[in-house]
Amino acid sequence: MNFIVAVQALADEGVDFVIIGGWSAILHGSSSVTNDLDICYSRNSDNLKRLASALAAFHPRLRDLSQDLPFVWDQATLPNAAILTLSTDLGAIDLLAEVSGLGGFEDVKAHSILVQAFDREIWTLDLPALIRTKRVAGRAKDLQVLPELEGLLEAGEPE
Amino acid sequence: MKTRHNPTPDRLARAEDLLRNPRPGSRIEAAQKFGIDLTLLIEKLRLSPAERVRRMHDAANAAEQVRGAARRDRT
Repeated sequence: MNFIVAVQALADEGVDFVIIGGWSAILHGSSSVTNDLDICYSRNSDNLKRLASALAAFHPRLRDLSQDLPFVWDQATLPNAAILTLSTDLGAIDLLAEVSGLGGFEDVKAHSILVQAFDREIWTLDLPALIRTKRVAGRAKDLQVLPELEGLLEAGEPE
Repeated sequence: MKTRHNPTPDRLARAEDLLRNPRPGSRIEAAQKFGIDLTLLIEKLRLSPAERVRRMHDAANAAEQVRGAARRDRT
């Protein structure tokens, strides 16, 4: 996953998005490994247009779609699903319109922080919200990272 | 708007102290007992978010090179 190029492309296109999942954990200091970039995005129609444009150059396809079947990537594709799991030239990218434990994009953004990285400003979940989403997701890989994230949270808490 | 600022030296020193000397019953101690290497967390906290991402990229690239070499050896 080329996280840096993906995030720069999204930011440069002006996409309203929040980094969630494993890369958010990494931004907070986790040593966990992740294979895909999970982002929550605004379903505002202008934003859908920007999102479609930002990723078009990286040839997104649905990961669970047979290679033989045609797939058109455009703005019209985006409102059709709450979650799109994409394979791109940059690696796997998952697009979520909602996040379990938090809600829709505005709820997610309200629990996010702005981080300066790669000459861009990018939003990512704050640590308490990230912990909440991992706990709610409840999969083994989510639960496994919880002790580390809880430790990071405690280490950063004020006296 | 909440902006993530780099921790002050005092805040970072306190975080490092907590990670080096976990308090009994703390979440940090629980993480240690779970198997988390707290020295790695100390190292990561000293980095900026961008540096953390770059380290992860470097590690992933190194792992991919090892996997590639292993695949070549098998063929």
